[in-house]
Amino acid sequence: MDITPETVAEAVNKVASVRGKGTLPNMMAFGRALKHLGVKVSLSQLIDASRSADLVDIAERGDFRALLRANLISQKEDFAVFDMLFDCFWREQSYERVPMETMDIQGTPTESNAPEGGDEEGGVEEAASEAIANENLPLENLDEFAVPTYSAQELMNRKDFSEMGTEESRAIARAILLIATKIATQISRRKKIGRKGPVIDPRATMRRSMKFGGEVIEMSHRKRRIKKTKVVLLCDVSGSMDCYSRFLIQFMYGLQNELWGVETFVFSTSLSRITHLIRTKNIIDALDKISGTILGWSGGTNIGRSLHTFNRNFAPSMVTHRTVVVIISDGWDRGDVTLLEKEMQDIKRRAKKIIWLNPLLASENYEPLCKGMQAALPYLDMFLSVHNVNSLVALGRTLEKMVA
Amino acid sequence: MDPKQLTIEKVQEILLTEKYVCDRQLATVVYLSLVMGKPLLLEGEAGVGKTEIAKVLSKVLGARLIRLQCYEGLDASTALYEWNYPKQMLHIKLEEIEHGDKKKVETEIFTQDYLVKRPLLDAIQSDDVNPPVLLIDEIDRADMEFEAFLLEVLSDFQITIPELGTVTAKHRPYVFLTSNRTREIHDALKRRCLYHWIEYPTFDKEYEIITTKFPEVETKMAQQICAFMQKVREMNFYKRPGVAETLDWASALIALNRKQLDDKSVIETMGCVFKYREDLTHLREQVENRQFSLDQLLRTSPELVS
Repeated sequence: MDITPETVAEAVNKVASVRGKGTLPNMMAFGRALKHLGVKVSLSQLIDASRSADLVDIAERGDFRALLRANLISQKEDFAVFDMLFDCFWREQSYERVPMETMDIQGTPTESNAPEGGDEEGGVEEAASEAIANENLPLENLDEFAVPTYSAQELMNRKDFSEMGTEESRAIARAILLIATKIATQISRRKKIGRKGPVIDPRATMRRSMKFGGEVIEMSHRKRRIKKTKVVLLCDVSGSMDCYSRFLIQFMYGLQNELWGVETFVFSTSLSRITHLIRTKNIIDALDKISGTILGWSGGTNIGRSLHTFNRNFAPSMVTHRTVVVIISDGWDRGDVTLLEKEMQDIKRRAKKIIWLNPLLASENYEPLCKGMQAALPYLDMFLSVHNVNSLVALGRTLEKMVA
Repeated sequence: MDPKQLTIEKVQEILLTEKYVCDRQLATVVYLSLVMGKPLLLEGEAGVGKTEIAKVLSKVLGARLIRLQCYEGLDASTALYEWNYPKQMLHIKLEEIEHGDKKKVETEIFTQDYLVKRPLLDAIQSDDVNPPVLLIDEIDRADMEFEAFLLEVLSDFQITIPELGTVTAKHRPYVFLTSNRTREIHDALKRRCLYHWIEYPTFDKEYEIITTKFPEVETKMAQQICAFMQKVREMNFYKRPGVAETLDWASALIALNRKQLDDKSVIETMGCVFKYREDLTHLREQVENRQFSLDQLLRTSPELVS
């Protein structure tokens, strides 16, 4: 939801009826207005906020603001909404009229907090499975399928991301969250067994007790080597991939923010590392940063040269036998095929697995005939399609198996 | 010190005695956290003083600092408590030789003496006059499961040990959690905490920090350092330098007896500010291509001109 002064004023009006005398009703109304604006606020937070209200001098507007903010807001991104609402809600007359009374928690208007409770936990998953069930989500409309071509010249233009539809991006975000959570929990469960924890290894314990004359003094625990799989994403953002770009950004952004140890790169004619650019929690910020920094978006393609840069500058430290390299590209290549082949070979030597995601694979009559794709094929462990939410789920399962 | 006697101003004041410069918002939040006994979750970029504030507070409050550094794979036995198995074994062995009472031994080996206290239990069981300051550092590095497990501890301030019973805190420790935001903390944990985001300092605040920490610094150089840092944080570096880097750099420049900044000393001492090879190369390139000019920066910086 876009937050404008109008929507804020509207939210304040909506709760006008439940406002009353005293801090508590006003506080509750304020919390409800925050909810209208999409900020999660729980009852316990509101109660604590009211409780603490007599700890500071609320005539000091700045202190009162800090008090409410610390209690009710729990991520930096919501600060802006909070500030706007605060200014609108605690305006002169209402703000000054607020008499400070001792709080009566029992008197909490419970009806105003009806949607409270455990419902939010299940929310994400539900919504995501909904998104998945809805197979033909208008993410990539195949009717509009652009004819894939490659562009010869390097188009150094800056991409404007403003066209991204919010609904679509939300659906993708939900699907990715689901995948990533699955993968993440999978990894950590494995680790738990691997810790020195409660699992005792009787055999090793006996062996060790020999030096104490057969007395069990020191315990040996079963340790399993921790398998930490890292993921390196290499994403083609050249002109021929244009119709997927917003989806790809969502994907890169989502995966990196949900998983540990993900490194992200984009390439067209040259390669750029964007891991640090998309390491924010707000995708709009991430988009701004990317479009402000990356040149050559929607330009031509030179996969070989980009992979060469990757192998020379980044692969030595980032790609190990525990790394899964994911390349997302349609394989239309302007560059030298022998170079591409050599670089693929190099990556193959270093990495645990190479997965190539090709959005074109989904169309029925597609065959990987273009030279670039053919050169790369022998080195791939997995060749998958990625074009809509469903294919994302399939990818999630594959990755899950790999990290386990 | 009794938190009941504190005020927001007082918090600012006592923190300043330990050379921690803190704006009013942060002071308000810290004050609330101390008085309400509610944990405070501090987020912000690396090196803005999240951990420092807990350390400083423990000093000025005369409280013990108990620090739990989080890492991937941190689990209950490292954070909470563990039975001292070898000691228990030895005890059993000794009793065996003396043909001790079996029942007695069983109860004996599950007492406090055989318990290895880890930070969380330590904080809750503390017998100190002042409640300790519990710093749970870089919570974003621990696993999700660990967060879930913290919930019980942070909301009720009690720990259940099956063999001993429930240990409840005599007085609540002051809890500070920090996060660098490499991942999002779960809502359930956030709800139990007050929240504050520490920004990079403004020019004035950074200046105050430098002059507080290094009273001997030349006014002009301190201003120049601040202007430089403000500018650099706007530029596209892989890792933006925090206050910690500013202070390192200032102390380096003071040690080198520099009175003001020039291109040469900047390049020489840049290792204090940038810790990545890419960033160092980037800066050097920018200086060489005249895209980044120290002269111009010092001449045009609004804070320096006025």
